[in-house]
Amino acid sequence: MENEILTMLLDQAVRLLDAEASQTRLKALLEEPGSFDAALWGKAVELGWPAIAIAEESGGLGLGIGSLAPLLQELGQRTVSLPLASGYVTAAALLEGGVAADVAAQLASGQAIATLALGEAGECGLSPAVVFSGGTLKGAKAPASFAAVATHALVSARDGDTPGLYLVDLTAAGVTRDVVPTIDNARAAAALRFDDTPATLVVAGWNALLRHAGVAATLVAFEQIGGAERCLRISVDYAKERKVFGQAIGAFQAIKHKLADMYQELEIGRGCAIDALESLEEGRGDFLMLACTARLGAGMAYDFAARECIQTHGGIGVTWEAEPHHHYRRARSLALEIGGAPFWRDLLVDGQQILETV
Amino acid sequence: MNDMSTQANESLGDYVARARAWLDAMEPRFGHEARKGLTVDQDLALAREYQRLKSEAGYACITLPRALGGGGGSEIQKILFGQEEFKHDFPTTYFTVSQGMPIPMLLRYADKEIGQRLAPPAIRGETIWCQLFSEPSAGSDLAAVRTRATRDGDGWRIDGQKLWTTWAQYADYAIAVVRTDPTVPKHAGLTFFWLDMKSPGITVKPVRKLAGESEINEVFFDNVYVPDSQRMGDVGAGFRVAIETLMIERYSVADDACGGPTLNEFAKLAANSRINGRAAIDDGQVRRALAEAIVERQGLRSIHRRALSAIAEGKEPGPEGSIRKLRLARRRQAMGELAMDLMGAEGMLLEPEGTSTLDHVWSWMDVPGARIAGGTDEILRNTIAEKVLGLPQDYRPDKKVPFNQIG
Ligand SMILES: Cc1cc2nc3c(=O)[nH]c(=O)nc-3n(C[C@H](O)[C@H](O)[C@H](O)COP(=O)(O)OP(=O)(O)OC[C@H]3O[C@@H](n4cnc5c(N)ncnc54)[C@H](O)[C@@H]3O)c2cc1C
Repeated sequence: MENEILTMLLDQAVRLLDAEASQTRLKALLEEPGSFDAALWGKAVELGWPAIAIAEESGGLGLGIGSLAPLLQELGQRTVSLPLASGYVTAAALLEGGVAADVAAQLASGQAIATLALGEAGECGLSPAVVFSGGTLKGAKAPASFAAVATHALVSARDGDTPGLYLVDLTAAGVTRDVVPTIDNARAAAALRFDDTPATLVVAGWNALLRHAGVAATLVAFEQIGGAERCLRISVDYAKERKVFGQAIGAFQAIKHKLADMYQELEIGRGCAIDALESLEEGRGDFLMLACTARLGAGMAYDFAARECIQTHGGIGVTWEAEPHHHYRRARSLALEIGGAPFWRDLLVDGQQILETV
Repeated sequence: MNDMSTQANESLGDYVARARAWLDAMEPRFGHEARKGLTVDQDLALAREYQRLKSEAGYACITLPRALGGGGGSEIQKILFGQEEFKHDFPTTYFTVSQGMPIPMLLRYADKEIGQRLAPPAIRGETIWCQLFSEPSAGSDLAAVRTRATRDGDGWRIDGQKLWTTWAQYADYAIAVVRTDPTVPKHAGLTFFWLDMKSPGITVKPVRKLAGESEINEVFFDNVYVPDSQRMGDVGAGFRVAIETLMIERYSVADDACGGPTLNEFAKLAANSRINGRAAIDDGQVRRALAEAIVERQGLRSIHRRALSAIAEGKEPGPEGSIRKLRLARRRQAMGELAMDLMGAEGMLLEPEGTSTLDHVWSWMDVPGARIAGGTDEILRNTIAEKVLGLPQDYRPDKKVPFNQIG
C-alpha cells in the first residue's frame, strides 16, 4: 500500500516536473536574487509533497524519510529548488523536541516554509556563534536557502557553551532578512539577523545539532545524486553526438575516462547516500558517520560531474543558454549550505576513530 | 613627447624599475578604484585612453617598431612589462587579442602600406581587432572550418558563421580563416584574410556567458565582399597561417594565479576562516592544498624564468612552458572551490561588483572558460603527449579525405 502510494507520487512528480521545470523557467529564477518558484511550490503542496515524510502525529502522511529521498533526487536532476528537505528536518526536530506541534503541522500542509539557518560568516563548520539568552536570539547567520520566502527558521545558536537548534517565527520582532545575490539565485537565499528575536529551543547539545544536520545532509545527498546523474547523462549524450576530428568526442579516451570517472564518483556517492538513509530509517548508531560519507561522497560526485560536464561541452558549456552551469551553481550551493566539506571530513574521521575503538 | 621606450644600455632591472614607476603613476586614473562601478562602455573608453598613453610611453606592443606606436623593444621587455602591468587592475582586456595576434600577423602578411596604415591606430587603442577562427563545428578541430569564401572578380564572397569571437562586439577589423576549396582535405582548403568588420553583410551577436559580462560573440557572414588584396598568405595556406598566429603568444604571461586571486589571498582567507572554531590555516587538508599550490607555482615560475632567459639570449625556450595554462586554470578552479568550502554558507555570496582577481567566488564562477579557451585541457594534454613526448597521433579518420566528402 505504502509502496503504491509512493510509486504514484513519484509518477506524478516526474510528470509535473517535466511539464513545469523548463530551462527557460529555471534560467529566469537564476536572474534575480532570492528567486522562488511559488507557482510550482503551490502545485507541490496540492500534491502533498511537504507532508509525505513528516510523521502522522505532526500532521504528515508518515511515509518516512525514504519517501522523500527519491523525490529530492528528481528535483536534483532538474535543478528544481523546493523547501522539502528543510521542511522535513524542521518538523522532525520539532517532534523530537516536543515543541511547536502547530508549526510542524503547518509545514506538513505547506502553509509554512522552513529554512535551515546553520551557517555563519567565517565558519566553514556548524559551530554557532549566535547567542540564545533569556528567550531571545542575537547575532547574524550566513545566507541560508529559502530564507527569502520562509515563514520559520531552524537556527543553530548557543546558550552559554551549549549549542542547540532554535525555532524562530520570521515575522517576529528583531528579524532582519537580507536577500542576497548568490551563485544560485534560484535557492531563495537570504541572510538572517536576529536582534533580541524571540526563539524557542527545539533540541539542545552538539550531538543533537549534528544528528539533525546529518538528516539534512542525507536528504541533500539525494538531491546531489540526482544532479550528478543528470550531468553524467547530458555529458554522455553530448559525447556521442558532438563530432570533432571526424569522430564523436566520446571516442577520445580523455573524454571516455572523464565520463567513466564521473560514473564512479556518482556510484560511490549513491552508495553512501543509500546507506546513510537506511541507517537513519533503522535508527542505527552509525548514522552520523554514514551521514558524513553521504555528504562528502555525494558532494564530491556532484561537484566533479558539474565541473566536467561544462568541460565536456567545450565552449557551449560556458554559455548561459546551455544547461551545465545550472549544475555548476547548484552543486556548489548544495555543498555549502549545511557546512563545507573540510568540516564533514573532520567529523567523519573523528567518528571513525570512535567506531573503531568501540 | 619624452620617448622613454629605447634607452641605450639600460639594464633589464632598470627597465623594470622605470616601468614600475610609470605604472604606479597610472594607478589613480586607471586602477581598480577608478574602474569601480563603470559600465562596459565607460570602461572601454578609459581603456582606450590608457592605451594611448601606453603607446606614447613606448609600452604598447613593445616589440613593434616605434614608428608605428610600438615600443621598439625586445620580447623580454614585453614580458617583463606585462608582469608588472598585471599587478594593477588596468583595463587592458579589450586589447589583449587585438594587439596580441592580429596586429603582428598583419605586419607580417599584409601589404606594407596596409600594415603602416592600420597598425598604428590599433596600437594606440583607437581600433580593435578580433580573431575569427572558431565556428560551431570547428573549435578544437580548427581545420574543420566551414565558412566559405568563393571567388568574385578581384575578390571573394564570404558566407557562414563564426562563434566564440572575443570582443567582436567592439571590433573594427578582424583576421579570419575561411574555406576556399572544399574539394581538398580539410587542412589544405583554407585561406587567411583580414576584414573590415563594418563590411556589409557582417552581423555580430553577443553570446551570453554563464556569468558576468560577456566578451564572446557569434559573427554571421552573408555574402560579404573581401578584395583579394586582403588575403594574408597564399590561397590554401590558411591553416598554416592560423597555427602561426596561435603560436605568437605562446610565452606571454598568464599571471601565476591565471586571473584569479593570488595564493597569498587564499592564505589570508584560510587564516580568517574557522573549521568548527579552529583556524582553517592550521588544518591539515588546507595546509596540504596550499603547499601543493605553492610547489606548482614555484615550478612554473622557474620554467617561466628559464624561458625568459632563453628568449633574452635569442634561443628557443624549452617545451615545458606548454604545461603552464593547463596547470594554472585547473589550480584556479580547485583553489576557488576550496576557498568557498572554507567560507561555508557565506561562500554562496556572489557580490555583483566582485572581480575574478580579487574575489574567490567570482574566480570560481568565471574559471570554466579558462579551461576551454586557447586550447582545452584535453587538447593541451594531447599536444604535450604528441609534440613534446613524440607519442603517436590520435586516429584521424578525416585527415586525408576531401572536406566535402567528410560525413
Ligand atoms: C571564453 C572564450 C573565448 C574564446 N575566444 C575565441 C576567439 O576570440 N576566437 C576564436 O576563434 N575562438 C575563441 N574561442 C573558442 C575556443 O578556441 C574553443 O571553444 C575551443 O577551441 C574548444 O572548441 P569547442 O568549443 O568547439 O569544443 P570542442 O572542440 O567541441 O570540444 C568538446 C570537448 O571535446 C574535447 N576534445 C576535442 N577534441 C579532442 C581530442 N582530440 N581528444 C580529447 N578530447 C577532445 C574537448 O577538450 C572538450 O572537452 C573562445 C572560447 C572561449 C570559451
